[in-house]
Amino acid sequence: MRRPLAVAAVVITLLAVVVTCEVILHNAPEADPLGKRLLYLPSPDVLRLASLGNDGLVADLLYLWSIQYYSQFDFREKFLYLDTVFNLITDLDPRYFDAYRIGAMIMSVQKHGDPELHKKAIVRLYDKGIDAMPDDWEIAEWAAWDAYLVLQDTDQAVKWMGIAAERPDAPGVLKRLYGRWRDNIHGWTAEDSIAHWEDVLAEAETKSETNLATSHIYDSYVSLHRSTLDPMLQGFSQVARRCPESWQELVDEGWLASVPVDYLGNPYGVDPNTCTLVAHKKIRWD
Amino acid sequence: MRAMLAIARNTLREALRDRVLYLFLGFAVLMLVSSKIFGLLTVGDEGKVIKDLGLAGVQFFSMLIAVMMSVLLVSREVDGRTVYNILAKPVRRWQFLLGKYLGLLATVALNLTLMALVLVTMVRLYSGEWDMGLLFASAMILLEMALVTAFATLFAVLTRPMLGTVFTLAVYIIGHVAENIWLLTQQITVGVTKPIVAAIYYLLPNLERFNFKTEVVHDLSIPHAEIGVTVVYGLAYTALVLVLACVRFSHKDLT
Repeated sequence: MRRPLAVAAVVITLLAVVVTCEVILHNAPEADPLGKRLLYLPSPDVLRLASLGNDGLVADLLYLWSIQYYSQFDFREKFLYLDTVFNLITDLDPRYFDAYRIGAMIMSVQKHGDPELHKKAIVRLYDKGIDAMPDDWEIAEWAAWDAYLVLQDTDQAVKWMGIAAERPDAPGVLKRLYGRWRDNIHGWTAEDSIAHWEDVLAEAETKSETNLATSHIYDSYVSLHRSTLDPMLQGFSQVARRCPESWQELVDEGWLASVPVDYLGNPYGVDPNTCTLVAHKKIRWD
Repeated sequence: MRAMLAIARNTLREALRDRVLYLFLGFAVLMLVSSKIFGLLTVGDEGKVIKDLGLAGVQFFSMLIAVMMSVLLVSREVDGRTVYNILAKPVRRWQFLLGKYLGLLATVALNLTLMALVLVTMVRLYSGEWDMGLLFASAMILLEMALVTAFATLFAVLTRPMLGTVFTLAVYIIGHVAENIWLLTQQITVGVTKPIVAAIYYLLPNLERFNFKTEVVHDLSIPHAEIGVTVVYGLAYTALVLVLACVRFSHKDLT
């Protein structure tokens, strides 16, 4: 009876010693232990060799590790080796969608350091993902929204949305969004805009898609027509010392062969106050 | 043929009685099931983590089973002197060895199939879809294991079990890093070293050829021709190693 009790006592005592040691070691202050380990992070080539064909798994483990690690930081602290770590993960698994997405998100939330440098790192990471997945539209769309909403860089957003819209199997909404954003920043000529929206119109499946494309084509034609018709109005008013009441006057005086009409075939008007072309866009949206 | 199949059946039966096998299998299934926990830790697609971890587990434990069991099976027969009883019957030495190999391969295949089914079920529970790509990747791992088991069999007749295990593990590691030998040939510009290194590269087993895990996890298309050539490569290399093992075993002094 005594012997089993003695054994049990020894086991319990040793267990207590082990647990106590672990508690002491666990609570010992360590200055950024993960950061130190990250300093000696091997290159992607070495990790790929060591993984023996399981690059994806090593990328997963690094990704999980990075999420835990960077979630310990305060926004105002310096996020150590952030760029390096997410580059390493995406080198190991270049098609790791979440690593690009979450990596960019973590890069965007940090307040420490130069925001321009953070932005450059985000653009670099997304560009890498877009290049690594040439058949995927989602990464480019995600990048575009991040550029639009987070980086607030509309030009970059338009560029990435354009890439997303061109990718195979991209939903039609991306093409429409790209056209709208590009029209908004006046990032192309009226002719290019018309060509784009005519493509959208040809692929339109619903009334609202047709109307949207028609509306944009209409506006582009107006701006195209305005560039030739407004100078004509100015010329007429300089000669006649007044603004014409209608386009018919210009036709009567030989300035124009016929009354100019808009994309939908309706005649343009003249704004007597500014002496410029007036378009009356009439599209039924219901 | 009948004798070979009888030996294979017995080898499978013997292997299935081995507790070590169930220990490996238990760990493998535990790892596959716990991949869900890793999945929970991630932000984004849990499925990727479950598939990556699952396929790595299937490969690792299949390799362990193949290596640990193969090198023991021949030596057990020799050390236990049971090989004499078998060879006293109208059974050729090569038939005995191939029977042993086939039995081992059946053991590995059985375990691998079980692990693959657990993985597919895990993914089904998580995503609601049957991912048949995982079965394809597992089939390719089986082809890789056929080659690794052939090497283990060769080393089992060449040397002692312990050394055989070490050599097979070395082949497994070299097979997965062989691609880098090709990079070495790119660095060498002059002399006979370049063709020698290139010859080594082509002669060594390139186990990365059977690795379709990334393609399956990311649902990428794989050209049928590539699969076909990979299967032919695996079968031909396995046959080559087994022929060498049979030749060696035919002349081996079993006393």
